[in-house]
Amino acid sequence: MKTRILGFVALAAVIGAAVNGLFVVPADLNQGDAQRIMYVHVASAWLAYSSFGVTALAGLAYLIRRDLRLDALALAGAEVGVMFTAFAIWGGMMWGKPVWGVYWQWEDPRLTTTALLLALYIGYLLLRRLTDDPARRAARAAVVGLIAAVDIPIVHFSVIWWRGLHQGPTIGDPSRILNPSAPLQFVLALLAMLAAFTLVWVYLLIRRYQLARLEWQLEEDARRGRVRAAQQAAVSRPAVEEPAR
Amino acid sequence: MSDLLRGVAVAMAIARKDALSELRGRQAAGSTIFFAAIVLLLFGFALGPDSRRLSEASPGLLWLAIVFGGLLTMARLHQLEADDGAFEQLALYPVDRRAIYAGKALAGAVAMLVLGGLLLPVVAILYAIPIGAAWLPLLLAVVLGAIGFAAIGTAYAGLTVRMRAREVMLPLLMLPIVAPLLLAAVKATVAALGGDPLGELWSWLQLLVAFDVIMLVAGAGTYGFLLED
Amino acid sequence: MTDAGFVIAAYGVILGGIGLYAAMLARRLRSARDASRHGDEVDAER
Repeated sequence: MKTRILGFVALAAVIGAAVNGLFVVPADLNQGDAQRIMYVHVASAWLAYSSFGVTALAGLAYLIRRDLRLDALALAGAEVGVMFTAFAIWGGMMWGKPVWGVYWQWEDPRLTTTALLLALYIGYLLLRRLTDDPARRAARAAVVGLIAAVDIPIVHFSVIWWRGLHQGPTIGDPSRILNPSAPLQFVLALLAMLAAFTLVWVYLLIRRYQLARLEWQLEEDARRGRVRAAQQAAVSRPAVEEPAR
Repeated sequence: MSDLLRGVAVAMAIARKDALSELRGRQAAGSTIFFAAIVLLLFGFALGPDSRRLSEASPGLLWLAIVFGGLLTMARLHQLEADDGAFEQLALYPVDRRAIYAGKALAGAVAMLVLGGLLLPVVAILYAIPIGAAWLPLLLAVVLGAIGFAAIGTAYAGLTVRMRAREVMLPLLMLPIVAPLLLAAVKATVAALGGDPLGELWSWLQLLVAFDVIMLVAGAGTYGFLLED
Repeated sequence: MTDAGFVIAAYGVILGGIGLYAAMLARRLRSARDASRHGDEVDAER
């Protein structure tokens, strides 16, 4: 019930922040209307990385405590995270074409790091899908999630150094919006979208967690039901087979 | 202290066993090196015939060949135990998991070093790279790259080798993780070959060291959970 | 595409995607809860 209320509040917040970002806030002097995309792009990226943190920490906690509920949380984080990562990349591309002239630019460290994040997430989810035993799946996923999480900072620094002397044009720099000297309206619009997306994120995590718990319970029941049926069959069989001998 | 010594002894024993099976292993190791060399050849067909373009691209091509050969190498080093069911036995053996990891990672690093070392002359010939005075920083880059690749490769190979679709899972998991290693190794190679005009060789080698340390710690810390499987 | 086109594409896919995902979760949760309730009834009968 509380989750449902959260869902409606999140929906209202997103609608409000979107209307604000699309119609209320003025367009940027240099980047034009395309700059509006930054609100959803940055918010998506923020949650993509936060989800990753959830998955990694939940996995670590699982390795310590062996509670499958933590694994359910890790899975929720990964699925929600892969979605927001894809959105962040999509947003970056939709912003890049009008502002840079290209959909993709290797010299933008955040874009390349986020693409790698997507690859790591997808590997994580595929690994889970290919492992059937719940405990084994949880342990493997936790290891992969942790290693991927420690890799991300290394990737971040290495791609920043990689860019090195090739400074991108400052007008086309996406991080302008995060600059403290940016116009207040833009900053507020971004914060509003961030807050709204965070509410959505929490809601989706809760729902995905609940779904994972329920579906695993059903799988477990089905497995136990099959075992019980097999046991009953074994008990009743001798009475049937003897005459055949 | 004696625990440490016993751990080292176990690690060395495992590394020696792997090295021996590599040497005896019916040309499997040699085939992998040959495969990597063929990859380098094929890059020539894909990107050539302009030799200037090829020699500009050669550091990247070298490391790609090392990565592809490395994937096969790491899988091979774990395949034997997987086939014989030795992983389950290793898990029962009352020794520190980190020692087992260290042994396998050491074997992997040596195998990668051999792979990289043998590919250097191939690259030098195919893409007309004058290695000359740069051989020391180049070797250093190969050593550091080998250690990093083996550090994460040992953990992931141990994880994937008993899985369905293992042939694709190891590359799928490894390639994104080693992206920074690849990046830094290539940059270090470029700097070394060019005489390091921007003074960045040392920075890239440091990044490689950082990657190696982090992955060795992560691998050693998590290997035990993978064996318990 | 004009700039407005890119903005619409960005917002449309992102907000629409969130909506679709939320709807999919709601549907799967509903069917899982139904299946679980059915299982409870069957167990009670046994």
